[in-house]
Amino acid sequence: MSEKIQGFAHGNRGVGIRNHQLILPSVICSTHVARKIATEVGGVTFAHQHGCGIIGDDVAGIENFFIQLADHPNVNSVLVIALGCETIQGQELVVKLLKSNESTQYCIIQESGGVSGTVTAGVKAARELNNAFKPASVEIQSLRIGIDVGRATLVVAALEKLLTAAGHFVLISQSESSSAVSFSHLAQEKAQIIISFPSESQPTSGFPLMPVINVAGSAALHQAIRADFDIAEDEILESILDLISSVASGAQTIAEKNNSGEIRAPRVVRSV
Amino acid sequence: MNDQLFAYKRENGRWGLRNHVLILPLHSALASSARAIADSSDGAVAISHDWSGEVDSDLARILFTFTGYASNPNNFAVIFLSIGSKEEIAIIEGAMSLGLTRSATLSLPQIGSIEKLQSQALDIANTYLQEAKVQERVKAPWSAIVLGLECGGSDALSGITANPALGVASDRLVELGATSVLGETTEILGAEHLLAARAIDPEVATRIVAMVARYEASINYEGIDIRGAQPSRGNIEGGLSTLEEKSLGAAKKAGNAPLTGVLEFGEKPVKPGLYFMDTPGHDIEQLAGFGAGHINVVVFTSGRGTPTGSAIMPTIKVSTNTPMYLSIPDLIDLDAGTIADGVETLTQVGDRIFTEILEVANGRLTKAELGGHHEFALSRMYNTVIN
Repeated sequence: MSEKIQGFAHGNRGVGIRNHQLILPSVICSTHVARKIATEVGGVTFAHQHGCGIIGDDVAGIENFFIQLADHPNVNSVLVIALGCETIQGQELVVKLLKSNESTQYCIIQESGGVSGTVTAGVKAARELNNAFKPASVEIQSLRIGIDVGRATLVVAALEKLLTAAGHFVLISQSESSSAVSFSHLAQEKAQIIISFPSESQPTSGFPLMPVINVAGSAALHQAIRADFDIAEDEILESILDLISSVASGAQTIAEKNNSGEIRAPRVVRSV
Repeated sequence: MNDQLFAYKRENGRWGLRNHVLILPLHSALASSARAIADSSDGAVAISHDWSGEVDSDLARILFTFTGYASNPNNFAVIFLSIGSKEEIAIIEGAMSLGLTRSATLSLPQIGSIEKLQSQALDIANTYLQEAKVQERVKAPWSAIVLGLECGGSDALSGITANPALGVASDRLVELGATSVLGETTEILGAEHLLAARAIDPEVATRIVAMVARYEASINYEGIDIRGAQPSRGNIEGGLSTLEEKSLGAAKKAGNAPLTGVLEFGEKPVKPGLYFMDTPGHDIEQLAGFGAGHINVVVFTSGRGTPTGSAIMPTIKVSTNTPMYLSIPDLIDLDAGTIADGVETLTQVGDRIFTEILEVANGRLTKAELGGHHEFALSRMYNTVIN
């Protein structure tokens, strides 16, 4: 790697290129409260529709998905916001998270006096976590780069070769229609940054924990919204290393600037 | 009776109890934009969801949900955020055919960027909001009320206090000519025969029994016994023993009125009366089905308490027990625990719920509305993992 990148040492989570505090709602019912807290403390959160009304393999599957998000290298600390009566119990989730990372706390809406009580308690807990866990700066030798392949393109093979030769570790995920499932998969694989080639019929998208570099193709939709893309496919091989260095060093991608990014947990059974 | 109802008259013959300007993203990549627009506006509402235009086995259900939700009579106007796919165009046209008269479609490819789309949408939203403020409520008949009955986080008192009290209010409304819709198929499993016995004709009776059997079969198909997954852990901690006990209590929300009809998820009742709608017990997916079914006010009973609200339907929350009501004061509108405390009778609490529904229908804000709780979730019948 030509230029050295300074990252954040996040304990057992690894080294991140972002220093995010994750406000993690363990159930859809607490997503709104989680957002109020995240807005107040500058943390990241996301809306999702999970945590209750799930059965079978999804109970362990979605809990495991949350655990992997909380263990992501770009995360510095985690505040779980639980409702109290959900299938994925916030306290139990936290017990599992604490096994690998002590920078974890939780608040339960049903035990914290409702919304305003939970927001007050959550803001306090989030600030305490931030004060108690200050990441050291470390030099990153090699990035874990996820490539989301949503369309047929010959450039991916050359890109993979280029990134590998530059010393990076590359993960490739094919996305059938939208990039959402692919991003979740790459997050579980601890990619620190994503390069996305959305399908011809899909716009750009982001992910709350990772910067996503969106690559425009020649399709009419992509050309029409060229301003939402970070880079064009035909210039990627010459410019991507510089762009990665700059994004890894803190420059925001367009998806990050737009706060764009919803999370879709992989679900295998219908809800009940 | 002196109680009077004032509501917003809509073109499709329905009545709005609110005059919302809804920002509806038709693609998940535009959900954060919808929220940002609503947050910066003078009072528009938005939902977020995780559908990215996937054309799969759940497509028809998802399109049906969005067309119904957008044309809900509580919406004064809808601003669609679109990437211009043919499925999205079908949603917009479908909503108009169901009575949505004021809408704007902001097409991302025509506008060119998310940033510009947000600023254009904000201007339109604020213009609609000005118009919405000018419209006045007019005297409305009882049939203007289309009430949704829901429970979540049930406990051992649900079937003794809040649910039967809500049944009293529901019966009064149905008798006056309103519509009341019971949902949550999971939560009538084992009690369907009681509803079937109240059906207005044998066909409705057969349909409700078949609907519940179909639901249980769709779960069994996955190799799972729903009677093992329900009652939920929260319910058990709240003192419920079996799914049947939960169901017998849950069905009491529908009082004793005759069962007029049975609705598919998001289907609209066409004449007044008591209905059952096939929805999951997942509170938020269930609320999306109610919104799609043109329900305009919801009463939600809870033993454990929840912040849940809807972007477009005022949601009145009723606690089953007084300690919960006192412990989370900004989530619960009414306490039915007074019945168990011996302070009030079932009828007295039922009357209080009835009055609350009328006052909220006339414009008083619920706690969920004051707190800005706008949860939304699409209901899917199939998995989301193809590969």
